[in-house]
Amino acid sequence: MDGVSPLERYLERCEGQFKDDLSASPQLFTPMSPYDVDLPIQTTEDVWGSQLNQPKDLSTDFSVDLSFLPDITQDDKEQNLSEDGYEKQKELDGSISRNEDSGIIVDESSLSYSGATQSSPEASGTCPPLIPMTPMTPVTPASESSGIVPQLQNIVSTVNLACKLDLKNIALHARNAEYNPKRFAAVIMRIREPRTTALIFSSGKMVCTGAKSEEQSRLAARKYARVVQKLGFPAKFLDFKIQNMVGSCDVRFPIRLEGLVLTHQQFSSYEPELFPGLIYRMVKPRIVLLIFVSGKVVLTGAKERSEIYEAFENIYPILKGFKKPS
Amino acid sequence: MSSTVASPMSTLASSSSGRKSTSFTPELQSMMFSLGDARRPLHETAVLVEDIVHTQLINLQAAEVSQLRGARVISAEDLLFLMRKDKKKLRRLLKYMFFRDYKSKIVKGIEEDDLLEDKFNSSNTNKRQKLAQDFLNSIDQTGELLAMFEDDEIDDVKQERMERAERQTRMMDSVQYAEFCESRQLSFSKKASKFRDWLDCSSMEIKPNAVAMEILAYLAYETVAQLVDLALLVKQDMAPKAGDPFSHAISATFIQYHNSAESTAACGIEAQSDAIQPSHIREAIRRYGHKIGPLSPFTSAYRRNGMTFLAC
Repeated sequence: MDGVSPLERYLERCEGQFKDDLSASPQLFTPMSPYDVDLPIQTTEDVWGSQLNQPKDLSTDFSVDLSFLPDITQDDKEQNLSEDGYEKQKELDGSISRNEDSGIIVDESSLSYSGATQSSPEASGTCPPLIPMTPMTPVTPASESSGIVPQLQNIVSTVNLACKLDLKNIALHARNAEYNPKRFAAVIMRIREPRTTALIFSSGKMVCTGAKSEEQSRLAARKYARVVQKLGFPAKFLDFKIQNMVGSCDVRFPIRLEGLVLTHQQFSSYEPELFPGLIYRMVKPRIVLLIFVSGKVVLTGAKERSEIYEAFENIYPILKGFKKPS
Repeated sequence: MSSTVASPMSTLASSSSGRKSTSFTPELQSMMFSLGDARRPLHETAVLVEDIVHTQLINLQAAEVSQLRGARVISAEDLLFLMRKDKKKLRRLLKYMFFRDYKSKIVKGIEEDDLLEDKFNSSNTNKRQKLAQDFLNSIDQTGELLAMFEDDEIDDVKQERMERAERQTRMMDSVQYAEFCESRQLSFSKKASKFRDWLDCSSMEIKPNAVAMEILAYLAYETVAQLVDLALLVKQDMAPKAGDPFSHAISATFIQYHNSAESTAACGIEAQSDAIQPSHIREAIRRYGHKIGPLSPFTSAYRRNGMTFLAC
């Protein structure tokens, strides 16, 4: 393919430059193909393989060692390499033709990739289908499911990079990093894709927030880890764990909160002077719901996506009972 | 009797001329509506309530307590100390403080922008709870106060208020309900700077700190709530009823429910002037301050200068 050799030459060229720029160039990742779903792209492996065989040979020449990511699959590695290719072309004021060439590759790959992404949501077993028309738990025939699916708004996850970090060094060399030791003892780093924020502590532990799905959170955490790794620290990717998930939805009718707080006293607290929403502490699953008069519901405290769906299905009939007739 | 009655009235007359700059009257009117008064509480009633709340807060003399301690600011501990006599009200205050902690913890987890604040203030989760627990630990001699933390009794007054609110809202349509909710959200703590001016904090030597201001705002709200509760009781007592000798002994909520359901035609006059009148409020205060029984000087209300405090 024509696109491969210019890329190859390009990569060779900037490999030298990259080594020099290692200290000065933070890596911002804005890959051109969508990374919303889990990464394995088995179906397109042959498409990728031919394109990236050559760059893979170059990987050993890079000062970056990507084998620190133990759970990364072959496909992920290739995809990571391609990302590196994209960044470099961004950094350098390479000629337009080269960008276009790489652009061609991107288009082709994104075409085949998006084909994969469309099929994977249905095929993948890791994330549950997003439109459950039937409730996940057995339910009496009298009630029916709400037909409303809560949307995930925020995921907080933690990961252990397993090495001591020099925060000043990271803050100086990474782009989009803040460090104010008098205020807070961690580096705050942000990336644009997926749009997230990370708190990186000197012990090597990291908190990643702002992602809208579990896969995005994991991907973002890996990107931060790679940034740290590229700055010269032997970062690993251990114990990735999702700590909290926040979802929200709208039942589309006003709710009479005074009635709800009276009948569900043991679970709900409602102090309108302090907070306009009713705080409902559901026991099973252990989720906190914020219910507002307008009908908006926020669910938080979940470790799994299914807990949010289950909690909403539990509360929906109760809320229907307190619907405010207009 | 006359001395106890005279002092609130006389101070009312004298202190009303003092503060023209900041007035909470419109907010008070909304607050009273949310606590059970009619849709448009009377202006005079609101002015009277404002006076009462102001006087009571000023006369708490929390400053003296902190002077006793040798501290430079009025803190939450001083206010808790003043309230130690009345267990129920103290428990309500504690529940309020815990709820504040809990709510800030939850909202922090949701707002991504507050993530940084969350990390900075992580030591402050449950800070009010710890504060209260430590302090009550230190002044508790009989173990009663600490027992309150485990106590899970239902707060009768709170229950009654909830039931009243529920009944009120059942009849409303969405527009009215939206207004009701908005007025319920009003509180003194939302308008903190106005509240400070109203209390004339700048002229005080010893000023309250942040948590103490929260508690003062809460006490002000409680005072208003208590006044409305009592005034509704008085109003119901004053309502003409058909020859039932024990009608005054039945609980307020019960009577109100029946009155509104059955005798709307008979009480046509009453339905029009449904709002609480200043006379109801004065009568309520008179009754509340009235000493009844042999042990009343030693019971719940904290007394100083002959004034009985509604909030503590």
